[in-house]
Amino acid sequence: MVSRMLRRKLFRDVRSRKGSLAALVMIVSAGVGVFVGLLAVFRDLDSARARYYQEHRLADFSVTLKRAPDRTTDMARTVPNVREVRGRIQQSVLVDLTGRVKPIPGMALSLPLDRHSLIGGVMLKTGAWFSGDMASEVILDFQFAREHNLRPGDRVKVLLLDRQHDLLVVGTGMSPEFVYLIPPSGGLAPDPAGYAVMYLPHRFMQESCDMQGAYNQLVGLAFDNSRIALKEMLHILKERLNAFGVLDTTPVHEETSVSVLRDELYNLKVTATVFPAIFLGVAALVLNIIMGRMVAQHRNVIGTLRALGHSASTMTLHYLGHGVIVGASGGICGIAVGIWLQYAMLGMYKRFFAMPGIVPHTYPGILVTGFLIALVCAILGTARGVRQAARLEPAQAMHPPPPEKGGRVLPERIPFVWKRLSFRHKMMLRAIFRNPFRSMVSVTACAVATALIVATLCLHDSTYYMMDYHFMRISHEDLTVALRDPRGPGSVSEVAGMPTVSAAEPQLTVACEMTYGPHVKRAAVTGLSDHARLTTPLTDSGKQLVIPDAGVVLTTKLAEILDVSVGDHVRVRPLLGRREETTVPVVKVIDGFLGLSAYCHIRYLSTLVGEEWVTNAILASSFPGSWGTPLMPALKERPLVISITERTRSLEQMHKTIGEFMGGFILVTIGFSGVIAFGSVLNSALVSLSERRREVGMLRVLGYRPGQVSRIFSHESFLLNGVGVVVGLALGVALAHLITVAYNTELYRFPVVIYPSRVAITAALMTAFVTAAQLIVHRMVKALDMLDVLKVRE
Amino acid sequence: MARQPVVPDTHANQDCHQKVILRVSNVEKVYRMGEVDVYALRHASLDVHEGEFLIVAGPSGSGKSTLLNVIGGMDRPTTGSVTFLGTEISQATDVALTMYRRNEVGFIFQFYNLIPTLTALENVEVAVELSPDPLDPMEALAMVGLQDRADHFPSQLSGGQQQRVAIARALAGNPRLLLCDEPTGALDLETSRQVLNLLRRLNGTLGKTVVLITHNSAIASMGDRIARISDGAIDSLVVNEHPTPVEEIRW
Repeated sequence: MVSRMLRRKLFRDVRSRKGSLAALVMIVSAGVGVFVGLLAVFRDLDSARARYYQEHRLADFSVTLKRAPDRTTDMARTVPNVREVRGRIQQSVLVDLTGRVKPIPGMALSLPLDRHSLIGGVMLKTGAWFSGDMASEVILDFQFAREHNLRPGDRVKVLLLDRQHDLLVVGTGMSPEFVYLIPPSGGLAPDPAGYAVMYLPHRFMQESCDMQGAYNQLVGLAFDNSRIALKEMLHILKERLNAFGVLDTTPVHEETSVSVLRDELYNLKVTATVFPAIFLGVAALVLNIIMGRMVAQHRNVIGTLRALGHSASTMTLHYLGHGVIVGASGGICGIAVGIWLQYAMLGMYKRFFAMPGIVPHTYPGILVTGFLIALVCAILGTARGVRQAARLEPAQAMHPPPPEKGGRVLPERIPFVWKRLSFRHKMMLRAIFRNPFRSMVSVTACAVATALIVATLCLHDSTYYMMDYHFMRISHEDLTVALRDPRGPGSVSEVAGMPTVSAAEPQLTVACEMTYGPHVKRAAVTGLSDHARLTTPLTDSGKQLVIPDAGVVLTTKLAEILDVSVGDHVRVRPLLGRREETTVPVVKVIDGFLGLSAYCHIRYLSTLVGEEWVTNAILASSFPGSWGTPLMPALKERPLVISITERTRSLEQMHKTIGEFMGGFILVTIGFSGVIAFGSVLNSALVSLSERRREVGMLRVLGYRPGQVSRIFSHESFLLNGVGVVVGLALGVALAHLITVAYNTELYRFPVVIYPSRVAITAALMTAFVTAAQLIVHRMVKALDMLDVLKVRE
Repeated sequence: MARQPVVPDTHANQDCHQKVILRVSNVEKVYRMGEVDVYALRHASLDVHEGEFLIVAGPSGSGKSTLLNVIGGMDRPTTGSVTFLGTEISQATDVALTMYRRNEVGFIFQFYNLIPTLTALENVEVAVELSPDPLDPMEALAMVGLQDRADHFPSQLSGGQQQRVAIARALAGNPRLLLCDEPTGALDLETSRQVLNLLRRLNGTLGKTVVLITHNSAIASMGDRIARISDGAIDSLVVNEHPTPVEEIRW
């Protein structure tokens, strides 16, 4: 049967080009893999999140205040849109674990005895609920418990206000509030071992925190939890509760953990669209070139088949078959890659996000869509070749193709340069300019691969730059001792006098509500002393900021949100002390990449809170190599201390978590970019080699060595890809800027950091990919039988 | 020297002053095609004299192209010896053969094999670049009468013109040996005559040794000597005392 014969031809054609088609299948697989994998991860995470939030009733809003009587919750319930509220106690604690020198800072939250339908509920992992409302019992965050090997039945010493309690661990649990918990000491990464979240019985906490009959945080659910509705509702709540010292109102969208998770999900979705579009687009373009070449080579065969009575549509179907084979193989391999990606990424997210139910599921819909996308792209890729094949009339097709068109190419217009070129460079330039489509595809593919690598490396560098900026360049202390209440200068000399301390410096950090025109924002204002050496904010030119005697210095993002510039006056209400609003001039705006912060003189800030000179955090540095042992017990004994944080710990934690994540991301990106570069380079080289077999043969006959001949191809390839790399570097830098804009959040910003070494690394990687493909071409030139090539006319 | 079957004594009719530039002795070339051995050449022997115009004529499949390839260092014989000016080239390395082709041989093919992306002049320069003692490329083009077509691309030239460019390219490396494989096979009679005339002239004026293979016996009569090849062996070798002028050749 005829169609069987054609089918056999199809499979043989494919086999004869298995190298280049395999490279294409790899590109398609990468695209489909990312699509299938990331969408599946998105669905898995999104459904896990929705289930977790719903089952344990994540609060839609929270209002933190100084102290409000229990009865006010009834009043809060009458505010429109409030569905349900619960008053709880939130208290920072220090945990003293036996065998540990350093007390671990943490946060205790109160829970009622009735664990059912709790707002802001806790999912028990092990153990049981409290035995009584007054019991000295604790449910520990399960990650913290796991890190320190604590189990129900163990005891922990917890410092609540000024008294240490010996608490019985009854259970471990987790809460949707803390899927991604960043400790208040800052940074970007969770630190489950270094920060303890725990839950205590409500009445017990009221008693021991001096909160009898009162609460200090209101959490609740709303009927309508859209941004606008919550904002409006919180505004009213704040007015009603203002008498009780409202410190902060937070809608669910602004909760750090919630927004980190939401941003991550959004990124997944964007990546799952953008990456595959790029990969499949490149694959389609490259396929176009291969098919165009194949049809040109099959000209005679097509003519013969048509002369034998095959219709144009049979030819169309026959050549579409190549696309179908590439698309289907790419689709199937891509699904495999995708499933692997899904498992690998979920494994990583499991360590990132404290959330149950992060389990890979199979989504037939996504798999089928991925497969179909691959198929459609590959078929589109064959369009040009197929059209050519169908258009060939038998009589015309059986004649040799018309000779290659002549004419001058662009660079020939510059005779000064042109005359000095060797014939090989002339051949190369003419080949490039006479096949503009193919040259464009080469340049595009290479540019895309380059841009992806550069942007990924830049993102990595930005992250590290940001971390180093905050934890190395502007912070120099070894230890930060946070005090419960602001104290006078005496506390500084007390810390300074402790063993191993070489220097101590006061700081006053006050959460303030800043208002300018219609804009209101809460930010942490840090008061620094003259000539502070342990915290040294930098100006834009990298010099140490001179703290003004009066007025505030804002970081860029905060100034942007408030829409103020230097010379404007903002209204500042400290959420501490008198809480009176003062109008304050903005003296300077400086860079800052983490959180929203502002600086001013410690005396100035003290005045704003109604004191003469107070501090609530003492930064200490120690003699090199000496600190730790004698200092910690000394600090532990002081009830005024609410937390002790080590700067290097946050930094290490971030390096660990983010390094791991980034490392995987960079490897995958470079791998995929390599696939694109290698696949495209190999294919365009193979196509031009096949077109120029006779030239190669002729040059060999004339006495050119294989290396000299393959150099023509490698020069062409290096020139095109060189242009591609340059374009790609520019594109990558632009992409890095774009990412910076996209990731500009209140929590963190990415500075644009482009190191020359990264540009060099990228160029070197791309050179390696191109060289690898060229080695294959060289081998083919060497193996080419010059006699065969010259004998027959194509 | 090994026996030379069938072939009459090749030295019998020849001028004793003539120097042998290339000697093919008892060459066999066997291609293995699947299960069977195909003999393209069997015990072929032939001397090429310096400065002569030698025609090798034979029907297609007779082994004449294989012979030319062996002479030109594009292929190695299975057995037998090929010496160029006394140097054995039949078992030379790839590098040595490349150098041989580069320095001593100019090829002219039926389908010209010009590089389509290079102009006429640039095509000639391709050969010049390699040769230790090249001609000026423009001069080479002038010799074939195409100096005013130097900037044309192959696609802008007629078949005859393309073949003349190919001849200029073969000349430009200043080889001793011009090997022509059916140089007029794709050309009409009038153009063929121009090309053959050109080859004859180069042979006469520059003293190039020309070996031309053809299946067209009409052309054979223009050679100084005519070797007839069939079934892989030289059948006869005759000295043509009165070569036919190219203008009188017709087919």
